[in-house]
Amino acid sequence: MDVLDHLDAVKRGTLSRRAFQRSLLGFGIGALATPFAAGRGMAQQAQGSIFTWGGYDLPEFYPSYIAANGAPPDFAVFDGTESALTRMRSGFVVDVAHPCSSDVMRWAASGLFQPIDTSRLSNWGDVIPELVNLEGNKADNGMPWLAPFDWGSTSVTYRTDLVELEGEESWDILWDARYGGKIGMFGSGGDAWWSAAIKAGVPFDQIHTDAAFDAIAAVLREQRPLVRVYTDDTATIGQALSSGELVAAMTWNSTAVELQAEDIPVKFAKPKEGALTWVCGLMLHRDAPNPDRAYEIIDAMLSVDAGKFMIGAYGYGHSNSKAFEAFTTEELEATGLSATPSDILGAGHFSTPQNQEWESRMNETYEMIKAGF
Amino acid sequence: MVTVPDVPLGRPRKGFAAWFRRSEAAQGLALMSPTLLVLLIGIAVPLVILITMGFWTREGFGFDTTPTLDNYARIGAEPIFVTFLARSFMVSGIATLVTILLCYPMAYYVAFHVHRNKMLWIVLMTLPFWTSYLLRVFAWRVVLGYEGVVNSAFLSLGWIEAPLEFLLYSQTAVIITLTHAWAAFAILPLYVSLEKIDKSLLEAATDLGDGPVRRFLRITLPLSMPGVVAAFFLIFIPTTGDFITPALLGGPDGMMIGNLIQLQFGPVNNWPMGAALSIVLMLWIGALGLVFLFLTRLAKRRLA
Repeated sequence: MDVLDHLDAVKRGTLSRRAFQRSLLGFGIGALATPFAAGRGMAQQAQGSIFTWGGYDLPEFYPSYIAANGAPPDFAVFDGTESALTRMRSGFVVDVAHPCSSDVMRWAASGLFQPIDTSRLSNWGDVIPELVNLEGNKADNGMPWLAPFDWGSTSVTYRTDLVELEGEESWDILWDARYGGKIGMFGSGGDAWWSAAIKAGVPFDQIHTDAAFDAIAAVLREQRPLVRVYTDDTATIGQALSSGELVAAMTWNSTAVELQAEDIPVKFAKPKEGALTWVCGLMLHRDAPNPDRAYEIIDAMLSVDAGKFMIGAYGYGHSNSKAFEAFTTEELEATGLSATPSDILGAGHFSTPQNQEWESRMNETYEMIKAGF
Repeated sequence: MVTVPDVPLGRPRKGFAAWFRRSEAAQGLALMSPTLLVLLIGIAVPLVILITMGFWTREGFGFDTTPTLDNYARIGAEPIFVTFLARSFMVSGIATLVTILLCYPMAYYVAFHVHRNKMLWIVLMTLPFWTSYLLRVFAWRVVLGYEGVVNSAFLSLGWIEAPLEFLLYSQTAVIITLTHAWAAFAILPLYVSLEKIDKSLLEAATDLGDGPVRRFLRITLPLSMPGVVAAFFLIFIPTTGDFITPALLGGPDGMMIGNLIQLQFGPVNNWPMGAALSIVLMLWIGALGLVFLFLTRLAKRRLA
């Protein structure tokens, strides 16, 4: 039956039951078959996937990957490394994940990752060695678990027009009762806990002791009534700082750099007690569905182009030493960086790897404190 | 049409095929099997896993599978769990109540005073719910925010000196958002039950001397009670465990039990505790639902 005849029959109301059922059958087979046809097509162009922090899902971080594959990798975003690990432990598979140095030992022990074959990375030769030689980063075969990518500080971003400093910049800004209800804090444990340890004066090599736990928890409890919002969403914090809803917040470099670009009077403090410094990087999943693409993702992120973009837009350090060549010393200092990362990493406090039990207990305690207990 | 049987004629069918042909129950089950399978895999199995896991304890990243009631004992003993449960019931109870109170007049109007294009009215009322839930929650952030619609309007009118801070990141914000987000679930059942009411009963009540208020209380309200009960359950049950609204709008003091359960399965990494909390929440909702049902039955009997 011709299509036009068919339509005509429908219009005139003379379509026979058989003809109608035949069309239905045809339609049903078509509908069932479509996903299979599409699935084959899609499988050929499946992109590699990366599980990362919010803000890294921009094409600028993956120039060579996009050049090779025509599109950026698939992104999944987490708000903290601990919840990311829990999610992957329950069966979420990606090619590449983006934890931080203090997570490496626990993540490697989970058995979900494989060491990175650095010979497959064209940019590996330019990676700053201090960032690779971190505690627990060497697998049995001598290869690293984590390919370092970004590094920076956790400190206080405050409104220079709304916060009155008493002497030097200090973590005390976040504990200043004058700014009650105008303080922002991170929502997930990790950085918040380590920073509170600096504020409480707990040395990092003592952080696993019960006394340290109590001291840090006490400091965070004291701060809780002053906090307006606990969130890991940097956009929320940024907007609140620019509107004056918050006057100071615990942030990474990027919040201050982004707000300064909008001419909002904020400063990323260099606390007299020292800032918390961190190095994050990329780990390869043991069952990565697309290992080739995974290496392409890592290589793209380690490239000079990705590094230049990150230093300029976010104010984070990059692991490729050549990425810094495009910037003057003044430009780097303005964002709190240096071309020799050891200067910055040595000046601050560097969180040390802890065992799983500690990590769970820390997260649980922080959640209790946030909830008011 | 003539069917040619694959077994020679005259010989009775044996085995499975014969049994299947005879048994109506088997045929019925076979018909239901796709749905049953989904129910089994999607609801029954997870529920069993949840119940079992609630008796386990965490051990590093694994589980200690010796059955124990420790998790439930902790829920009873530690104030955080009780506080969160109570807060969730309060917030979602208020939200449910306000939603029903606000939606009842709307449903009433459409059921009794709109005579043409009723469907259009209903569609228009539920139009906001065609957007995603998350989008509506974010929209309320914009409305209630520090520099949001409400605050800017009040500021420009000179009613307030500084932005109202309690609007966002508070229990108020959660209640307002839940009330709006779930309105469709109240309007529809209320409308259906009001629409079904026989108008001649109302006329009879008027003829027999009832004023509008008494008529409403004695006829309309009791007869629309099924709709109210349905709306109560449809809103109260999901909002008690709601997670995204308090996460985005609740602030430090607005967190609810859903957030606590999510934390157990996320950063806190205590799945057995999360399972036990979910079970306790389910039991509490069940119990409160029964109490509510009982009270409405009682009230109906009184009214009748």
